[in-house]
Amino acid sequence: MREQDLLIGSLLEETWMTLEQVAAACAVEPDWLRRHIDEGLFPHAECVAGVWRFTRVGLVRARRMRQLERDFDAAPELAALMADLLEEMDHLRTRLRQTGT
Amino acid sequence: MEFHDYYQTLGVSRDASADEIKKAFRRLARKYHPDISKEADAEARMKAVNEAYAVLSDPEKRAAYDRLGQNYQAGQDFRPPPDWGEAYEFSTHGFSPGEEAEFSDFFSQLFGGPGGFRRQGGGHFRTPGGDVRAEVLLDLDDSFNGATRQLSLQLPQTDAQGRVRWVTRSLNVKIPQGVHEGQIIRLAGQGAPGMGGGPAGDLLLEVRIKPHARLRTEGRDLRMTLPLAPWEAALGATVAVELPNGHLKVRIPEGAQSGRQLRVRGKGIPGTPPGDLLLDLQVVLPPADTPAARQLYETMAQELAFDPRPSAKQ
Repeated sequence: MREQDLLIGSLLEETWMTLEQVAAACAVEPDWLRRHIDEGLFPHAECVAGVWRFTRVGLVRARRMRQLERDFDAAPELAALMADLLEEMDHLRTRLRQTGT
Repeated sequence: MEFHDYYQTLGVSRDASADEIKKAFRRLARKYHPDISKEADAEARMKAVNEAYAVLSDPEKRAAYDRLGQNYQAGQDFRPPPDWGEAYEFSTHGFSPGEEAEFSDFFSQLFGGPGGFRRQGGGHFRTPGGDVRAEVLLDLDDSFNGATRQLSLQLPQTDAQGRVRWVTRSLNVKIPQGVHEGQIIRLAGQGAPGMGGGPAGDLLLEVRIKPHARLRTEGRDLRMTLPLAPWEAALGATVAVELPNGHLKVRIPEGAQSGRQLRVRGKGIPGTPPGDLLLDLQVVLPPADTPAARQLYETMAQELAFDPRPSAKQ
């Protein structure tokens, strides 16, 4: 493809990702994700007709938790707590940016 | 190719124990954590720290690196010995192939990273490339109307020898109408190259909206403060609100007060469904800086039985 070709992307918010896609994007085993969902550590994941689906928030959360568990040997619950705090920080930073301060 | 001193990167001595290496890594992982760090080059430093830890935390890799690097200093010109490929067999653990794809040429030459000579002949590794994240800063007008943006990004690319290098690539990207703060535009196959014929990762563009002088965004909803004259608020009025896609006439009900919010459905950022326009009403008093204005305020004071603090008397 030439560099100047026009690239047309898809909006992640409008295209759900499956459990397998999120696992591949985060380089984790699908079982790691299933275990964390079963333990209630992925509040954003939705199950529709027996199939788990994720938005980009779930994808970012999976990446963060996997990194915390790997880098700090964090217990999954602790990684989830950190992910909660980071999500709250994302939210507050977005609001701050929107007010232009 | 420059020699990388992984001990220097982690700030430990060459005879550091596995525990000391782990502690040093964790201290730096905290310091350069992408969500927390205020260092300008945190992302690049974190990659270097990960690379050093990938080698020094693995006894096989560390032993091989120590044997090879005992006569080298950081930054010194380096070539791996010709028999290096046959002498060692490394396994990958801890970091994913996608993460290792972002490590340096030095790493891939020594430990069989993407394009390293150890994997060229075999071809038994077939792993997809990692996703690459970047931000795209847009005006609110772009959200309403869509746009085409030329982006200049540092992206990994495999050269003729199969080595991964960071190159600046210029991409023309169509920004769809209706994008809002925090959304991610996925460009399939534009991320890090795969290994052994594996598919390339995706480029994930995170949308940032520049602050607007009057309008704030909350998802697809738009929010703004709407100043009103006292008579517009008291008697009701139709006022014009300027939006990026033109003017909108909004009816203000009589008896409106400061602090109340009007929701105009479907007039936020376009989409399916479109966002709403949220108007925070704010009554603004005209200054009493002329005799006529003072007279009007005095007339109101005398003729209106108005108490703005009824609870204060209780």
